[in-house]
Amino acid sequence: MEFPSQLLYAQDQILLALMIFIIMLGMGASLTVDDFRAVARSPKGVLTGFLSQFGLMPLIALGLSIILKLHPAFAISLILIGCLPGGTTSNMFTYFSRGSVALSISMTTASTVMALFMMPIILSLYTVGFTSQLTADMRAAGAETEFVIPTGNIISSLVLVLVPVIMGMILRKKSPGWAKTMEDTAGFLAVIVILYLILTAFVRHGGLFLQTPVTVYIATIGLGMAGFFFGYWFSRLIGMKPIFQRAISLETGIQNGPVSFAIILLSFNEPVQSQMLWLAILYSTFIVMTSSGITMYFRKHGKFDWDIYKNTQIHNRLFGNDFVTKYPPGFLPERLVNDPSQGTQPAQKR
Amino acid sequence: MEYARFERTEADNLALLYGEAAKRFDDMPAFATRKSAQEWQPVTYKELYRQGLNLATGLIAYGVKARDHVGLFGDNRYEWILADYGVQLCGAADVPRGRDVSDAELKYIVDHAGITFCFAETKQLAIRLLKLQEELPALRHIVMLDPAAEPPEGVLRMQDICHKGEELRNRGDRKAEERIAGIRPDDLFTLIYTSGTTGTPKGVMLTHDNMMSQIRNLPGHHNCTDRTLSVLPIWHVFERIIEMYTISFGGCTYYSGIITLSEDMQNVEPTFMASAPRLWEKIHEKILANIKKSHPVRRLLFKIAYFLAKQYKNSEYFITNKDLKLKRQPAWKRSLLMPFHVLRWIVVLPWYGFFNAAVLERIRLGAGGSLAATISGGGALPIHIDKFFNYVGIPVLEGYGLTETSPVISVRPKLNLVVGTVGPPIKETELRIVDPETGETLFPDPACEFGGRGKRGEILVRGPQVMKGYYKEKNLTEIAIRDGWFHTGDLGMITYNDCLKILGRSKATIVLSSGENVEPEPMEMHLQQSKYIDQCMVVGQDKKFLGLLVVLNGCEFVKNGIKHRSLQELVQIPEAKELMKKEIRRLISPASGFKNYERIGDFRLLPEKFEVGKELTNLFKIKRHIVSEKYGDLINDIYSNHSPKK
Repeated sequence: MEFPSQLLYAQDQILLALMIFIIMLGMGASLTVDDFRAVARSPKGVLTGFLSQFGLMPLIALGLSIILKLHPAFAISLILIGCLPGGTTSNMFTYFSRGSVALSISMTTASTVMALFMMPIILSLYTVGFTSQLTADMRAAGAETEFVIPTGNIISSLVLVLVPVIMGMILRKKSPGWAKTMEDTAGFLAVIVILYLILTAFVRHGGLFLQTPVTVYIATIGLGMAGFFFGYWFSRLIGMKPIFQRAISLETGIQNGPVSFAIILLSFNEPVQSQMLWLAILYSTFIVMTSSGITMYFRKHGKFDWDIYKNTQIHNRLFGNDFVTKYPPGFLPERLVNDPSQGTQPAQKR
Repeated sequence: MEYARFERTEADNLALLYGEAAKRFDDMPAFATRKSAQEWQPVTYKELYRQGLNLATGLIAYGVKARDHVGLFGDNRYEWILADYGVQLCGAADVPRGRDVSDAELKYIVDHAGITFCFAETKQLAIRLLKLQEELPALRHIVMLDPAAEPPEGVLRMQDICHKGEELRNRGDRKAEERIAGIRPDDLFTLIYTSGTTGTPKGVMLTHDNMMSQIRNLPGHHNCTDRTLSVLPIWHVFERIIEMYTISFGGCTYYSGIITLSEDMQNVEPTFMASAPRLWEKIHEKILANIKKSHPVRRLLFKIAYFLAKQYKNSEYFITNKDLKLKRQPAWKRSLLMPFHVLRWIVVLPWYGFFNAAVLERIRLGAGGSLAATISGGGALPIHIDKFFNYVGIPVLEGYGLTETSPVISVRPKLNLVVGTVGPPIKETELRIVDPETGETLFPDPACEFGGRGKRGEILVRGPQVMKGYYKEKNLTEIAIRDGWFHTGDLGMITYNDCLKILGRSKATIVLSSGENVEPEPMEMHLQQSKYIDQCMVVGQDKKFLGLLVVLNGCEFVKNGIKHRSLQELVQIPEAKELMKKEIRRLISPASGFKNYERIGDFRLLPEKFEVGKELTNLFKIKRHIVSEKYGDLINDIYSNHSPKK
């Protein structure tokens, strides 16, 4: 397949870099040091999240790449996305899907830090087959080089991406009002820039959408959807309750897209860079749509247990922590009876 | 009896409902009283019912007979509902009224209703009743609700009656149960004296059947995880039905007040509440003020969000056939507009989605964020307020009803939301639109094109919620209820998508000497959109032209450089008068849809605000006869000095 080697012009790259900066600044602006401490307070949830984010997602990405027989460049990109940390988008979606925002934030912070160690390891482990295939291709084309995953570069780009996050956190500490505005502006800008990238790609390389193999579409849509699905049922299997299930499901499926842009731009070169970037753009576009859909589904189906959770929480807030809300017999579904997260038993307060 | 999760508890009368709810919801909190912002005192269904039975037994011992009228004077608090439990459980009916009742009204009510036993909320109110007792020989017992205060001589305490009842019940007294079994469906549960906007108070007799039909027929899905916030006066039947309805699904009612409302909304995060237009006007003002104060970027974001929401919702209403349809729209016009709206809906959707999540949600959090629905009643919701909340996504559902219809006749359901209307009638309720002069039925009229939709007339209601009648006023009852149809005295029409649109109160109609009929309420609502006008009332019955009484909004004048220390001072300033003149001319003109004879000929500025209990009813409706009396001189002045200006 002929793939345009210059997907982005120089000015687009600057724009993209600026967007990554602003989004990460916005992410930092939504975090406080206390969010990091909160990780320690809900170890079970964060651990489950960790397992599904760094265990399930890369496996799903690998599985999809093998089953769909993706081109190695696409496969590497997909696996790269698979082991990304979560972003603030997932926190917003979790909020609207009536999931535990606290857990979502904890998972985001934990995974962002953990990604520094986990990403290089998983990436080099899972992409062995594809890199050797790439090397073989390059050799066949007459090149003398060997394709390796630039582990060092990836780590340094990750560190670089964390700089604006920390700046955002400082901003939050100094001026919460500004930080709030920053957060919203960042989200708004992200939507605009992604739409701009898609549009320019469409204008400049109109054929690109047709050239892109169907398998790539399936993979980019499927990665998120599979993440939601397995995240939801995996956490259920472990015994997490609905509000946490929804948080973990969304956190697993939604990856921090901007980080992938940064890594691809800073650490990879042609001939794979454009293809990798294209897949990352497609993923970022589709994930907004699929997670909107999933969120609406969760919102509707989670209303009942959320209402119970919320009501119990408010009872405890207003009537004192030892108030026990005893719902009428038969009112609570079996799974929620004796559920600590619903606060229906005094000994198991959140 | 087994109930599904979302089913309402049903019973033949209130007393049985209370019992059934106690059995079903047992240890769930039923009512909560505020002690401080984050500290509330709950009472469970079981406990409330137990105390209610004790009180009922005590009341029987004090000589309250079945079907007696028991006075219940006070405002929203737990003891009020307990007193109501006691009265219902001993088979009597209560005659409620708020603390702000005047001595004259109190006397009239106690005398007219034949009250021998009454509750008074506070020590003050008890003392007032004690004084009146000399002129009211039938009144034997006064009981104070407030548990904290020491009762004056000759006044009983409710706790003491409860204790007495408890002792009796411990000894095996089961008279309350006998009384409950003896309640008939058409027995009164309450006798409400309306202060109304016209004339002397009338005692509206509402039966257990009335109340039960409301609980059965109100639209909505609620369950025992719902939280109801109580702000409107409980003695008004609208607030009361919402609290009784809350009991039927096992929710908890939280007693708030106007002063603590916004704080309580944040802490309680209510899912349901009864509200009045004035409340939403206040919240609207507050939201706008907050936005004005906020960061410029935020303000811009809000403006974009609101704009998008407006586009999105308007297209959605059009596509789903939920736009306000006062005039018949030809099918070809609709099908021409349809592609435009579908396109706009699709284009705006992703942007609206983002802004809705990022910006509008924060506005909704100001109202607690969990509000699934709130019924606004007791007056017309100004259209711009209505639109604002529906665009922002706080579902303010406008309802319509009167005390005489206990009270809900129609309400906008959440899924069939036509902004600007009061929705379709609730179940088991029939509506008729009748020509007020000829008495001819305009809707439903199968002979007429579109069945009579779009025709204006008086609203008639038939249904299980219609009152038994006015107490001891057979003539009035016969005028109000003819052939089973209750004449509301309100003007309205049925829109082309079968919702009721209220057009004004026909009893408030001003007939000019030229014979032209003017509805003052829509004009007043239109005028009140002006930031300079706080309140106003249109006058002009039998006169050549319309006059206006205006209460100015002082702050706005200060901003405009017209300094003053009080309203009295402001009304003397010529600039203020000049400004007002321009403002009225701007608002009421043929360009804004007013007819020629609806022109305001002259106006007077009032030195005082309208106040609740004086010029306003508890639901902020103007008592026209009171204002006309109080400012009679000013009104005469309008018409004596002037020949209408050309």
